[in-house]
Amino acid sequence: MTAATLAMQSAPRVVLQYRDVRKLYGDFVALSGVSMEVERGQVVCLIGPSGSGKSTLLRCTNALESLDGGELLFDGIPLPKDAASIRKVRQRMGMVFQNFELFPHKTAIQNIMMGPKTVLGLSEQESRARAEALLVKVGLSDKPENYPANLSGGQQQRVAIARALAMEPEVMLFDEPTSALDPETIGEVLNVMKALADDGMTMVVVTHEMTFARRVADHVVVFESGRILEQGPPTQIFDAPQQARTRDFLGHLGWDA
Amino acid sequence: MNLDWSIIPASAGALARGALITIALTVLTMTIAVPCGIGVAMLRESKFRPVAFLATCFVELFRNLPIILVVYWAFYVMPVVFGIAFSPFITGLVALSLNNTAYNSETFRSGIKSIRKGQTEAALALGMSEGQAFRQIVLPQAWRRVLPVLATTWVTLFKDTSLVSVIAVGDLAHTAMQIRSQSFRVIEMLTAMAAIYWLLGYPQAKIADWIHKKFGVTE
Repeated sequence: MTAATLAMQSAPRVVLQYRDVRKLYGDFVALSGVSMEVERGQVVCLIGPSGSGKSTLLRCTNALESLDGGELLFDGIPLPKDAASIRKVRQRMGMVFQNFELFPHKTAIQNIMMGPKTVLGLSEQESRARAEALLVKVGLSDKPENYPANLSGGQQQRVAIARALAMEPEVMLFDEPTSALDPETIGEVLNVMKALADDGMTMVVVTHEMTFARRVADHVVVFESGRILEQGPPTQIFDAPQQARTRDFLGHLGWDA
Repeated sequence: MNLDWSIIPASAGALARGALITIALTVLTMTIAVPCGIGVAMLRESKFRPVAFLATCFVELFRNLPIILVVYWAFYVMPVVFGIAFSPFITGLVALSLNNTAYNSETFRSGIKSIRKGQTEAALALGMSEGQAFRQIVLPQAWRRVLPVLATTWVTLFKDTSLVSVIAVGDLAHTAMQIRSQSFRVIEMLTAMAAIYWLLGYPQAKIADWIHKKFGVTE
């Protein structure tokens, strides 16, 4: 048995645990007591209307936002408060943004090499080798020297996924990864995400793509007004929602439950 | 009118030296005022309030004083009040640097602020420190955005260096004025001075225009 599989077995089954998480922006309650878990290897999709708190929860997960109450455990340990420890945690979580946020002054491959080089301190060759392998993985091995401005939205988002993967994270966080894309390029990004899920990557995905959530998620969480309306396997959420509000929300999206 | 242009070839050597000093003043002032401008811009954004306040005071003071006053002040007041006296050249350099640092800090501050917050967040999400995110992600992008403004500042500065001639820095303006008062060839020297400033300034302005075109806002 390899060290890696031993580590997998000894590691806790639950990777992320949210306990009564609260977040305020001034008077606005963004999250009011959210509790949920993400298990290793699971794909968890967060769905719900805009402004319901899904993205906020995701941003709390890698400490881009601080909590105003409750607890968030990563591998059984509460998220640290000091900057150095927060950086260590972030290195183990990849994040993909709605607007890609590729670095426009860097080429595709330089974007991907950024993390390994500056954060992990890998050499130029090691970083490049890692980046090239990831470009193949996201189907962009022919565009290493393109600047983001010369890539389509779908291509940019695939580079952004590769950039996050270059840190070899344990968890990937996706914040509406296809919301800013033209309809015809959404598919290529979702396919990369599906392949990642099939590889066993633990993923938390904020999305409006119900077909993706239905097909790929192991667990779906429905948000409304800063709290969880309902959560369960996709078959329950999409075929037999327990809450009338879940049915309403899905109905607005044209989904017939 | 009795014009004698022979004074110009006769003073060519002195004028060339003056022009070199003018160029040196411009280059050195920018070499000092760009990094200092970035530094002051960062201090103004400091979370530590007194630091931000002092940086703001510095900018508002030197941005709103005429350069010639700062030059006089550095020359006459600084030695008396602080007991520091520099050569005229260094004094002029200090005065120009103070003024340009204040301007550049505002330029960089707006450039830095124009970079989306998401860029910093993407860098932080990779595990970078705030410092790494600033130096590697925000600042290089801000640079490109402010380059056109810096080019304009440069062209203005080149002409403004003539203000230090009042404290006898041997720059082009001072040299030309000296020759004028010794030779009484007023029209000839003023014309020569204008021609030299223009010939040196015009290419710089053209380069600035090119930078505007190449690096101007594309988003």
